[in-house]
Amino acid sequence: MPLLDVQDLNIRFTGYGRTAHVLRDVSFSVGRGERVALIGETGSGKSITAKAILGTLPNNASTRGGIRYDGLDVMAMAPRERDRLKGTAFSIIMQDPLSSFNPVFRIGRHLDDILYYADRRQGRVSGAQDRKARILEVLRRVQLSDPERVYGAWPFELSGGMRQRVLIALALLHHPAILIADEPGTALDVTTQDEILRLINRLVAEEGLSLLMITHNLGVVRQTADTVLVMQHGRIVERGPLSQVFEAPEEAYTKSLMEAVPPLYGPRVTDQPVSTQAPIITMTGVDKVYGSGSMLRRGAGHRAVTDVGLTVREGEIFGLAGESGSGKTTVARMLMGLLEPTSGTIEADRGGPRRLTQIVYQNPGTSLNPKRTAAQTLAVPLAHVGLKGAQARARMTELMSLVKLPESFLGKYPHELSGGQKQRVAIARALAAEPRVLILDEPTSALDVSVQKTVIDLLLQLREDLGLTYVIISHDLSLMRNFCSRLAIMRQGEIIEDGTPAEIFAAPRHPYTRALIAAIPVLTDAEEALKPEITDAERHRFLVTSDTDTNEEGHDHVSTGH
Amino acid sequence: MSMTDDRLTEDLAEGRPADTAPLSAGYMTWYRFSRNPAAVIGALIVISTILCAIFAPLIAPYPDHIGTVVDFRSRHLPPDAEHWMGTDKAGRDIFSRTVFGFRVSLLLVVGVLGISVPVGSLLGMTAGYFGGWTERLITGFTDVMLAIPPLVMALAIGNVLEPTLVNAMIAVTLLWWTWHARLIYRVTSQIMAEDYVEAARLAGASHWHILLREILPNCVSVISVKTTLDAAFVILFGATLSFLGFGVRPPTPDLGSMVADGRQFLPEMWWEVLAPGFAIFYATLGFNLLGDGLRDMFDVEA
Amino acid sequence: MRADLIEAILRRLLGFVLVLLVLSLMIFVLARIVPGDPARMALGPSATAEQVTALQQEMGLDRPVLVQYASYLGGALQGDLGRSLVTNRPVIRDVAEFLPATLELVIITIAIMIVVAIPLGVTTARYRDSWIDNGGRVFSLIGVTIPSFLFAIGLQLLAANFIPGWPILGRVDRTLPIPDGPTGLLLLDSLVHGQGAVFVDAAQHLAFPALALAMASIGQITRITRSAMIENQRKDHVLTLRSFGVPDRVIVFRYLLKLSSVAPLTIMGLEFASLIGNAFVVEMVFGWGGFASYGLTAILQKDLNALMAVVLVSGLFFILANLVIDLILSLIDPRQRRGAPA
Repeated sequence: MPLLDVQDLNIRFTGYGRTAHVLRDVSFSVGRGERVALIGETGSGKSITAKAILGTLPNNASTRGGIRYDGLDVMAMAPRERDRLKGTAFSIIMQDPLSSFNPVFRIGRHLDDILYYADRRQGRVSGAQDRKARILEVLRRVQLSDPERVYGAWPFELSGGMRQRVLIALALLHHPAILIADEPGTALDVTTQDEILRLINRLVAEEGLSLLMITHNLGVVRQTADTVLVMQHGRIVERGPLSQVFEAPEEAYTKSLMEAVPPLYGPRVTDQPVSTQAPIITMTGVDKVYGSGSMLRRGAGHRAVTDVGLTVREGEIFGLAGESGSGKTTVARMLMGLLEPTSGTIEADRGGPRRLTQIVYQNPGTSLNPKRTAAQTLAVPLAHVGLKGAQARARMTELMSLVKLPESFLGKYPHELSGGQKQRVAIARALAAEPRVLILDEPTSALDVSVQKTVIDLLLQLREDLGLTYVIISHDLSLMRNFCSRLAIMRQGEIIEDGTPAEIFAAPRHPYTRALIAAIPVLTDAEEALKPEITDAERHRFLVTSDTDTNEEGHDHVSTGH
Repeated sequence: MSMTDDRLTEDLAEGRPADTAPLSAGYMTWYRFSRNPAAVIGALIVISTILCAIFAPLIAPYPDHIGTVVDFRSRHLPPDAEHWMGTDKAGRDIFSRTVFGFRVSLLLVVGVLGISVPVGSLLGMTAGYFGGWTERLITGFTDVMLAIPPLVMALAIGNVLEPTLVNAMIAVTLLWWTWHARLIYRVTSQIMAEDYVEAARLAGASHWHILLREILPNCVSVISVKTTLDAAFVILFGATLSFLGFGVRPPTPDLGSMVADGRQFLPEMWWEVLAPGFAIFYATLGFNLLGDGLRDMFDVEA
Repeated sequence: MRADLIEAILRRLLGFVLVLLVLSLMIFVLARIVPGDPARMALGPSATAEQVTALQQEMGLDRPVLVQYASYLGGALQGDLGRSLVTNRPVIRDVAEFLPATLELVIITIAIMIVVAIPLGVTTARYRDSWIDNGGRVFSLIGVTIPSFLFAIGLQLLAANFIPGWPILGRVDRTLPIPDGPTGLLLLDSLVHGQGAVFVDAAQHLAFPALALAMASIGQITRITRSAMIENQRKDHVLTLRSFGVPDRVIVFRYLLKLSSVAPLTIMGLEFASLIGNAFVVEMVFGWGGFASYGLTAILQKDLNALMAVVLVSGLFFILANLVIDLILSLIDPRQRRGAPA
């Protein structure tokens, strides 16, 4: 008998006078000690499935079907009985470490309350001292080096990686039988995410837990699952053992998902041609220091960028890679002339009165004005380059066909568009200003994998057709490997390594680069084998979210005043 | 990425089906409004108040009673078929005076909000958009003005100059914009964190274009909610001023001074306070219900 | 952390001093440029032109406004706010006499506001869309829509007709032995002197004015608490606790209550100015011989020195109230201690 058995689960949501069928006949089971992964993109229903198992669906949901835990019918249980299973039968590892704790309560308070009520449900009376001892023990198990400090800390005082560990500790407080992990570590840097996945794997193995891993990242699945379920539009479209699904996917959807993941090594890797044309922007010995403290405390300010020198050549795709706080965004903003360097020089071949650069932002949700149609958005840069009326209209049509959107979309507002479509409009807006260099700020990281691929293909096509130069900043090295013609890797405000992606990936010189590449989740064992070897000591040395780092955003996202 | 499930949670929290085609904003807005009977009632009350004020001469049974008519034979009459709300100390029809009283209240609303909303919104947007010294200057000044009790200011100005409604209105306006400036400043600061403002700058848009075309449209819902709720406060405020004797010059009917007049004859002649008192309640209730409804409808904080 | 806290407070204080300076300058200039000659008003219509000129010189009215302001400020720092034209005493003595009555009223009002509004907001949010919620919303709507003076009149009528012997005018029964000092707050002084009868009487006098004054803000603050609660209920951390079986009542009354009190407390500070304004009305209706009544007389009599004092003290009140609220907020929310302006 499986530990968890879900039979024909159907869920509908009602709202705004409509009903949506969100889960359709979902059936699967998780055996004792088995690791199952639920893969899917936005709206596939994977998170809803987890909520249904936990019993945390919102009130406007209606559920049909069966969920059995260890043979017991969970759906037929009274709410109190069902509450008793929380934390003991199933525990969830929450996904967003930033908002998962109440900001005005200490971490320890959350843990203590959870433990207290869980104890009480099991008819066990526990003293405060006893609870604290047990909590510290669990915190130690998730490799938090100073559990006392974490216990007494406010949520904002911990780094994202530490909060994610506390969330794992939460899930382990009561020795659950099944661990449900909802996109653990997704919001974190790649090296931290890698640590988190290792930790979960170790805990599952050591304590003999079952794992239900919910994720959109196929590389994560390869590391953490034995059995794979692929979900699409509320149905399970493919299922099977990991090796079978990954090596010989049957469904077209699964295949397209696999193909959309950019490879790190192997025959599918693309090498972009290196440009030998004249440099457009050259940075020499650039430093950037932010702020200088407050009235009373005279501080030295925050050094975001140190002695950076780089050259962007006409027609190339220059990649700036790095984790949070590495200074890559600051460099990009200086390239655009939005920030002045504190010292050093930036030379740009302007070649005209127009802006040399335009940018495509990471989040299509905030880069388009919600109150303006695509046409209105495009009209601004077009007016700036001197196009009005019928001319502007004609150019808009042209731009829409360039980004492969139907002309009718000109009349649409952002909320009527999907994420990928919004990103295309944003690209069209950047192109409308006729820049020579396009800055791409994590242009695909907010999109689903399959959409990512189409946007990247579009960008490559546009460069081919229009002869543009790109500077891309990203933390996604597998994307950069295939998309860039040249790559610079940044850490703590410095460029520590640069070269062509082929060179860097074949023989990374800096140990940080090796750690970074080693942490990337890949799809095949063959790729895994080709990753650079690193020692545990090296891995820990370069974790970006160390225990002393309190703000994982760092100063990477400091914006300019006007 | 986290955005995936952010949207999901948001959808669920709002009770929106998660993976259907996105519902149009217009549909959802209308759905929220039409399912909110309080908002509809509020709108009806506000409309009726405005109509009352505009067509007061046609509605009031004794339109000439807004003047200095004195009819001692019919003083302090309780409500009856002839005088629905009774008569006051000068024998004037209270219902007629109350209907005309709306005019003063609404005039005050239009006067105060007509100036302070645009001024406050513009200052708030400017502070939020330009930042730096502009921001410090405007927010600092706003903080200073917030420390002044509006009623004290209105009384002081009204009295040092001359206790008229216009002076009171000027005094109130001098302080009222601060609330709008604060609110719109906050909203603008949030908008500034979104990339589209910078994108517009990079695309070559002028400051003017950005303030009026990119930022303002995103403030409209907040401004309209705040303005509607404020209308109620201005009515209350005006009534309080005239209750204290700083209203329009008698005999022009004004709800606050009618309450003050009637108060002397409490509790026997209760109707003299009841009608104008209820009128104040009616008008402020309407604007409050409508404002709350708009807030739920636009789903904004104001 | 401590240094951060001290720095935040210092910065706040500095800001408040600036506010007070600008405020006083504004009122001063305004008072001096308006038509009407204070000297003439002080002396009355029968005085001769020479007498007026002499008084003008004595009052320093012939000097530039800024010089006058500087000397006023210099005096104010030493506790000299000039003489009142109405009471013909130093204004500072009037302030000392009338302020405690208003202070007492305002403190009790705020206590009522907090005790009623925040729990009500939390409860209505907890039982959203139930009859409790609807009842609470009607109640807060009534608070927001009915002007303070109507409340005051209504409460007075209520007492007069249905509660025999309940006082509806003044602060205390004058026939009782009124304690002399030390604070001027009757409730406190009577306790200090062990006069139970005075305490009860003063509390009875205080109840309705404070209630009338509190009502307007109760409505507002209940609404804000409720919407903050509802907003916070959507947050992930609620899901965290819920997923591990922490009971709803604990989530609401411990976790959400604390988090959601930030918004109403902030608003309470900002609304303080309106509260003082409403105190004018309530004091008038209940014949409460307090600072606001004094201010009203000063305004009616064009008593500029008294008026200045009223505005300044109101401003000071506002500033102190906000300082206290800032402190409370920084205790509630550790993020505010990092010196970030609220």
